[in-house]
Amino acid sequence: MGLEIMDDVRRDYIYNLVRRGKREDGRGFQDYREIKVEKGIIKKAEGSARVKIGNTEVLVGVKLEPGEPFPDSPDKGVIITNAELVPLASPEFEPGPPNEDSVQLARVVDRGIRGSEAIDLSKLCIEEGEKVWIVFIDIHVLDNDGNLVDAAALGAIASLLNLRMPAERYGLSGEGEEMIPLQDKPVAVTMVDIGGEILVDPNYNEEKAAVSGLTVISNTDGTISGMQKYGREGLKEEKVSEMVEMGIEKADELRQRFL
Amino acid sequence: MKEEGIELIKDGKRLDGRGFDELRPIKIEVGVLKRADGSCYFELGDNKVIAAVYGPREMHPRHAQDAKMAVLKYRYNMAPFSVDERKRPGPDRRSVEISKVSREALEPVIIKEFYPKTEIDVYVEILQSDAGTRTAGINAASVALADAGIPMKDLVSSVAVGKIDGEVVLDLNAVEDNYGEADMPIAMIARRNTITALQMDGRMTKDEFEKGLKLAMNACQQIYELQRTALIERYSEM
Amino acid sequence: MKRMYKVVIPGDFISEDVNRAGEGTYIEEGKVYAMRYGVVDEKDEIKVVPFVGKYQPAKGDVVIGRITEISFPYWIVDIASPYEARLHMSEVTSGGKKRVEFGSMHTYLDIDDLIVAKVTNTDAMMRIDLGLMEDFQLGGDGRLITIPYTKVPRIIGRKGSMIRMLKEKCNCFIFVAKNGRIWIRGKEEDMNLASEVILMIANEAHTSGLTDRVADFLDSYRSKMVRMDNKGLKR
Repeated sequence: MGLEIMDDVRRDYIYNLVRRGKREDGRGFQDYREIKVEKGIIKKAEGSARVKIGNTEVLVGVKLEPGEPFPDSPDKGVIITNAELVPLASPEFEPGPPNEDSVQLARVVDRGIRGSEAIDLSKLCIEEGEKVWIVFIDIHVLDNDGNLVDAAALGAIASLLNLRMPAERYGLSGEGEEMIPLQDKPVAVTMVDIGGEILVDPNYNEEKAAVSGLTVISNTDGTISGMQKYGREGLKEEKVSEMVEMGIEKADELRQRFL
Repeated sequence: MKEEGIELIKDGKRLDGRGFDELRPIKIEVGVLKRADGSCYFELGDNKVIAAVYGPREMHPRHAQDAKMAVLKYRYNMAPFSVDERKRPGPDRRSVEISKVSREALEPVIIKEFYPKTEIDVYVEILQSDAGTRTAGINAASVALADAGIPMKDLVSSVAVGKIDGEVVLDLNAVEDNYGEADMPIAMIARRNTITALQMDGRMTKDEFEKGLKLAMNACQQIYELQRTALIERYSEM
Repeated sequence: MKRMYKVVIPGDFISEDVNRAGEGTYIEEGKVYAMRYGVVDEKDEIKVVPFVGKYQPAKGDVVIGRITEISFPYWIVDIASPYEARLHMSEVTSGGKKRVEFGSMHTYLDIDDLIVAKVTNTDAMMRIDLGLMEDFQLGGDGRLITIPYTKVPRIIGRKGSMIRMLKEKCNCFIFVAKNGRIWIRGKEEDMNLASEVILMIANEAHTSGLTDRVADFLDSYRSKMVRMDNKGLKR
């Protein structure tokens, strides 16, 4: 995420590897690390998932609570996405209010879900103009070994796949726990540019060594529902197009395997 | 995003009369603030933004200094009265993200090695907002940085493209942004076809993305010419 | 209409002659580009002289500094740069022969005192060391004005022609330091005139024929003053 300065030695090492067509952990440039998705692992949450991408580990919990709709969409539910980079996940994370990296992480994941209209917000209306369901998507990073965005986005959509409406708990319509069907399954794919090569799913060191990167979030029908460029250097137009194409392709792969 | 019942395109024209590939009117003034080291006022349609640059100056806190180069900071801030519904003063999550993305949009052109251990502060105030404020802010900041005498490789130009009523169009205004299907702000070094910021929300196909990118590149070239002219003319009218 | 030097902005192509590329430019793929917003000066090498910018201290520069802090055994000095400079105590004690007691440094140089100093050393940590010039203390009835350091060469002029004229026609002592600070001493009205002319030069530094225009300005000003004096006498 935060493509920051790393020491030159490690950066040179990463670049030299890439020049020889290799990566630190032996993967191909377009390969993800091993991915594990476990759904429904937090009982108290209405939806949850733990996602591991290599050593990166993210826990996403979704809570639903009745609340007020926004004035400009009185008949629609509300999505609020939040990310916490808790200090246990990295020596670089510090306690305190969200910094720009955690804000960006949350907002990129949020945009992907919103843009894809994965959740039909009109189904979350309890009483027009008065009461709707607020969907809180909370991203809890447990271990940061790079590419938090893809892990968090995958965790978010996996959590939403088994989302129940806790109507009873709030004394609303006694129909038990109704499931909320998803309309789409957006998947985020993050790539970095290292020495002119596109590397999918950068690990921590690669992320630090790279000077630019791009996340592409795409949907079941191949449309794009979110993008974000990172880093202190620019990307040539052709490179961006190439990344978009690759992102869509990889997203499809992940969707079929894990969602 | 999509709301029913609002027609954004009529007879091949947009509600404000623009064609699909047309920018809103742009006005640029350089050196508008006395105390700042560099400044720029930028209008894009009904957006009114002002950027100030201070520095390079001594960086505080000291432990945040970089021994090899200057540190660029960027603060995007909306005035409470800049939008229909009063904006609560101070940074919110949106402005934190925009500040980060905008900083990264400018970093590729700034030559930071000349002033190690210093900071360069860019302050962008949105005085009136009508969709596209972050792009207007980047355009203003880029000119203000040059005006401050900061060593740079080039200027950065920025614009948003989006999708309304199924059409890919340039530079959405607020109504189009609210009722449109997608929005994609882009910043680039116009003469090098290098993209320094790219965000997208909403939904579009890959072809629409490509089309949008071409529109944006074209528009950034136009904006670049205006930025350049504003800077050159500042010292030509004596 | 004044003739202008060529104004460039960062990224503007200037020349293919990379061997002559100088300050304010960068080279990419065998071409010279502007790195700063300013005017092109191709007299010797190809330079871009920025309109404004922050003074970067270099060894040997003579600057006017202002004492901002006393931090034994140093005075901390503001030199109109992103970097503060330091002046060691021994500089006022004839090489350490005199002993300065801890806590008495302010009796030699106090906060806000202005000094003329030479940059004796700079290092990679951006530590700037100063040494005092012979007549180092500025004070009394003089006046300090500050212009962008990038315009200092214009105030000096070719081979000192501009500054010579200024001193003579304004009837002032004028000392121009590398960091854009200028010390003027003279009669009140003479200092006013000198300040005005210096600011005029700074504002029009990017135009040519400046020396002649300044000369004209000074001559017409003087004759106006004479006329005004006469009027005053009549009244």
